[in-house]
Amino acid sequence: MRRSVLDQRWAGYAVAALSVSALTLLLKIFGTHFNAATVSLALLLNVLFIATRWGSLPALFTSILAMLCFNFFFLPPFGTFTIAATDNWVALLAFLITAVTAGQLSASAKRRAEEAETGRHEIERLYAELRDAFERASHAEALRQSEKLKSALLDAVTHDLRTPLTSIKASITTLLDEARGEPSFPLDRDSRVEMMEVIDEESDRLNRFINGLIELARIEAGELQLRRRWGAVDEILSTALTRAEPITRNHHVELNVEKELPGVRVDERAVSEVVYTLVDNAAKYSAKGSTIRIMARRSGEELIEMGVEDQGPGIPKDLREQVFDKFFRATRDGDITTHNPSGTGMGLAIAKGIVEAHEGRIWIDSGNGGKGTRVSFTLPIGDEDDE
Amino acid sequence: MAVRERGFRLHFRLVTKTMSSQPRILVVDDEPQLTRVLRTGLKSHGYDVRVAADGLAGFEAFNDWHPDLVITDLAMPNVDGLELCKRLRAISQVPIIVLSAKGEEKTKVEALDLGADDFITKPFGIDELLARVRASLRRAKVPPMNEATQTTLDSGDFHVDLESREITVRGKAIHLTPKEFDLLVYFIKHSGKVLTHRTLLAALWGGNYVEQNEYLRVFVGNLRKKIEPDVTPRYILTEPWIGYRFDPDPVT
Repeated sequence: MRRSVLDQRWAGYAVAALSVSALTLLLKIFGTHFNAATVSLALLLNVLFIATRWGSLPALFTSILAMLCFNFFFLPPFGTFTIAATDNWVALLAFLITAVTAGQLSASAKRRAEEAETGRHEIERLYAELRDAFERASHAEALRQSEKLKSALLDAVTHDLRTPLTSIKASITTLLDEARGEPSFPLDRDSRVEMMEVIDEESDRLNRFINGLIELARIEAGELQLRRRWGAVDEILSTALTRAEPITRNHHVELNVEKELPGVRVDERAVSEVVYTLVDNAAKYSAKGSTIRIMARRSGEELIEMGVEDQGPGIPKDLREQVFDKFFRATRDGDITTHNPSGTGMGLAIAKGIVEAHEGRIWIDSGNGGKGTRVSFTLPIGDEDDE
Repeated sequence: MAVRERGFRLHFRLVTKTMSSQPRILVVDDEPQLTRVLRTGLKSHGYDVRVAADGLAGFEAFNDWHPDLVITDLAMPNVDGLELCKRLRAISQVPIIVLSAKGEEKTKVEALDLGADDFITKPFGIDELLARVRASLRRAKVPPMNEATQTTLDSGDFHVDLESREITVRGKAIHLTPKEFDLLVYFIKHSGKVLTHRTLLAALWGGNYVEQNEYLRVFVGNLRKKIEPDVTPRYILTEPWIGYRFDPDPVT
């Protein structure tokens, strides 16, 4: 670096000497009729050129060299360094001062420009570095968040897989013990049946959970294929309620459907699944003997609203959004009933996915009189032209 | 993790003769299907069983029924397993077995630190649970030691004279440093129980040393060299990430 600056400076001196000589020669050959002012201006230009290209010292060198040439070749008496007329002394001095000042000024201007340029480069470099660092940091943060989420989901999934598995394993090993004649008090018939029931129910629960995962993955990937057809709301409700009969046996079910509801253009199977999920939740989280209300009505010109209401403990306001997140449960399993196989934590997430795929909305508020839970959803009726 | 049954067989025959003295087990878990199974499974092996769906109900059932052993889940609504361990330990020395899942290691260690005796990882076979239950009940049956008057300890292959601080293992005298002696006596007094690193450090070195696992590793390593007949430990068993369990009388 230092070496190249020196080289450049020597080059500056060399160019200075050559250019002043060449200029003097040219002016001497072609400019016999040029006066001293023209010559001094031409030499000044030369000084400026050197100053802007090579800086202050070569410029100073050029100024002195040009002054000497000016004196020697162009101020009478020619060919000597002596000066006859007083005004030529003034001219020579003016030339020297102008040359040195102009040279130094333009050299320092050049230096400042260079410094500014270096500064700009430095700022740009710092900016780029900062931006990279920031990008790396936010990428790492995003990654960390997503890893955290992934591990939370994994925890939830493994818990939901392991819980039924634990009951199955405990049941089957109890039965195995018996088959091998190990227990001190052989199981009676009822106990054996109970163990097998647990295995049966818990296998179904595992299967439901896995089906839920598949359904959810499909919704999240945007691969939910809706088969929209014109259908009647009461038919959709009755399909869901028939399916839910075994789980609502211990509850009073009240159906309240507005008269003369228009048909809706929906995927009947999917919407019926939503209603089933809501009824299932209502039965699971409210006491035996309580009432489950199911209603459907028209909401404005374009929407149908359906809802399922229970008389259970209700869901606190701050959790009413969260319960639609997958694997989130507001009430832990087993709080209310003791014999119902518990939920998968995916029902409401899937219901939301189905409703939103229909461009509807699903939400939770309190039931009648501020008690219990009411889950409602809307569905667009659909256009006649959509057929 | 071989938990032996020798001692229990005798105890068990006694129990079957007198049905009224069936050991009582309280199962606390919020998973109804599992409590169904455990109730039936444990009953078929001669235990009297009650179940509770959360820590609060479990604590009430304990006060009401005075079980001989408590099996509790960790994650439960209302009062969870940790809190239940804490509340039970405040009023009783009843053996507590914790049901835990992989991924709950931290909570499991906390429960052991709070006084739980043992843990079992879900999912488990009924035989493994029964073995843990027998081991915990057997341990609870050993009469409490009278620290003031007791001068010797006999446990399995170990004989300890607390006054002269002499120890024989399998009839052979061994020489221990004072700290190694204290550690071994602590192990013998808590045979079969899972002891966390923290518990051991607090008991032997004091509360300021509970994070210094390397102390423990060094002393356990030295102690093993002096008492274990083989490279593979038989007496001082490692519970990975948790602590140690001492078995004074391993099955050979």
